[in-house]
Amino acid sequence: MQVPWNFRFGIVILGDSSVGKSSLLHRYTEGTFDESRQSPLGIDFKVSNMYFDPDVVIKLLLWDTAGQERFRSICKSYMRNSVGCILMFDVSQRQTFDRVRSWQQEVLDYVKPNPMFFVLVGHKCDLAVGRQVRKSEGDALAKKLNMLAYLEVSTKENINVKETFETLTRGIYNLFQQGKIPTRGDWQGLTVGATVQKESPVTKKSACCNCG
Amino acid sequence: MEETQNMENHFNDSASSDSNDCQRVDQYGFERAEDFNYESYEDFMSRHLAVVTRRSKKWTKLLQGTVKVEKNIKVKRYVRKGVPCEHRTQIWMAASGAQDQLDRNPGYYHSLLKAEHDPKIEEVIRADMHRTFPDNIQFRASSEPCLQKALFNVLLAYGYHNKDVGYCQGMNFIAGYLLIITKDEEKSFWLMDALIGKILPDYYTPTMLGLQMDQEVLGELVRMKVPAVWQVMNRHNVMWTLVVSRWFICLYVDILPVETVLRIWDCLFYEGSKILFRVALTMIRHNENLISQAQSLSEICERFKQITHGEYVEDCHTFMQKIFMEPGGLSTATITKLRKMCRNRITSA
Repeated sequence: MQVPWNFRFGIVILGDSSVGKSSLLHRYTEGTFDESRQSPLGIDFKVSNMYFDPDVVIKLLLWDTAGQERFRSICKSYMRNSVGCILMFDVSQRQTFDRVRSWQQEVLDYVKPNPMFFVLVGHKCDLAVGRQVRKSEGDALAKKLNMLAYLEVSTKENINVKETFETLTRGIYNLFQQGKIPTRGDWQGLTVGATVQKESPVTKKSACCNCG
Repeated sequence: MEETQNMENHFNDSASSDSNDCQRVDQYGFERAEDFNYESYEDFMSRHLAVVTRRSKKWTKLLQGTVKVEKNIKVKRYVRKGVPCEHRTQIWMAASGAQDQLDRNPGYYHSLLKAEHDPKIEEVIRADMHRTFPDNIQFRASSEPCLQKALFNVLLAYGYHNKDVGYCQGMNFIAGYLLIITKDEEKSFWLMDALIGKILPDYYTPTMLGLQMDQEVLGELVRMKVPAVWQVMNRHNVMWTLVVSRWFICLYVDILPVETVLRIWDCLFYEGSKILFRVALTMIRHNENLISQAQSLSEICERFKQITHGEYVEDCHTFMQKIFMEPGGLSTATITKLRKMCRNRITSA
């Protein structure tokens, strides 16, 4: 069924290889956990609608990417059509945290002059042993790099999964309402759709839909 | 049905002889899906095995007293009709030139294993181990022998051997299939080299230029041969990479049914990379209406996933006949011309 949407956001999930990008997206859209999720080998995507206010429907185009550097040439064009980025690292792999800053810089350089808003995700926080990055470090880095938030997430235990997508979406929505995100005709990152209908609240909730 | 069972065992030279396991996993060690339709499978297998038996006899006769595989019309026809499992390693090795390389470089593979390896490559390869065929019992850490170790060795050795490529995700699936078929690390290594170094143009290097180029070439071929699909892709602004990158990177592994993939690889080793376009074009053309009626980007993506499943691609004999008929003529000259054009388009963008 076609659900009329008021806004459409492109969201891209980035981070080093095997930090858990596909697992996170799969948990969010399908609600299940699969440890051996394969790399998308390029780019894959899912659609999901978010109803965070009774009268606002935001359609999310969620781009899942391969972490290995050489796939970047394939993923790039879809980065340009995104307004938000979930940048992930693995709390048990220090080097994936160390590369967050260069990931962000590369994305910002690439999407210029369009804006990109980030949330930082420290993934696999369920691991009781083997943690190599403290929460305070994640908080500090997110703040330093002007990101909307830092969240510690476990796809396996379903901790903060929904919250990650909601935090980013709400953050972008608020910035847009404050006039801080300009829309351009040739930019697909943030698109305004149907005007918000105050008197017809959406009652039916669906996780995923096929509408164009 | 008893006859079918016996014949299946005859061709089942792999992991398990236990009849329960035979039902649960296929002859390559892949677990069958929970909704696996045994009835239609039996039906297919009874026809399939008759064909395989007939082909097997012909091949045995053809190969009598020789290890060489000539390039001629007769052998080409034989290859297109399928190489029997017991001859597959030999034919792939001979047709691709991998056997020559192995003969000329004795001990080379093992010397690579002893070399000092780049820890970065090792890290990426290691990260892909547990997600390479988790549905195959031969790749379980608990299985004996475990192909995970062999897979790791082949990929690491290859990364050292071909430094321009190193390791590219997706190569794990290719090496995995080669190991399942050859059961031999060294042969798998040289077959990898034939594919990556020779048969496929620049697919796995850091620029992935050859891959990008072939995706665009497919787009051009679809524009010529299945215009309705090209139009819907264009209308919704869908880049070909979004729907077909996995097809090309994995050479249809994990996209199409195992038996069908092996048949495609028979031709890939013997005839070269053109076969990859034939397969893609056949599926796209056969599903022209389904795809061109898609209403959105996500529907297009879903339908491109959908068309790689079902009877049409499972019946490998018919499918392999179709790929040489359905897309019509596909000359090497056309492919060469399109590759050149697309390459220019990408590099000047």
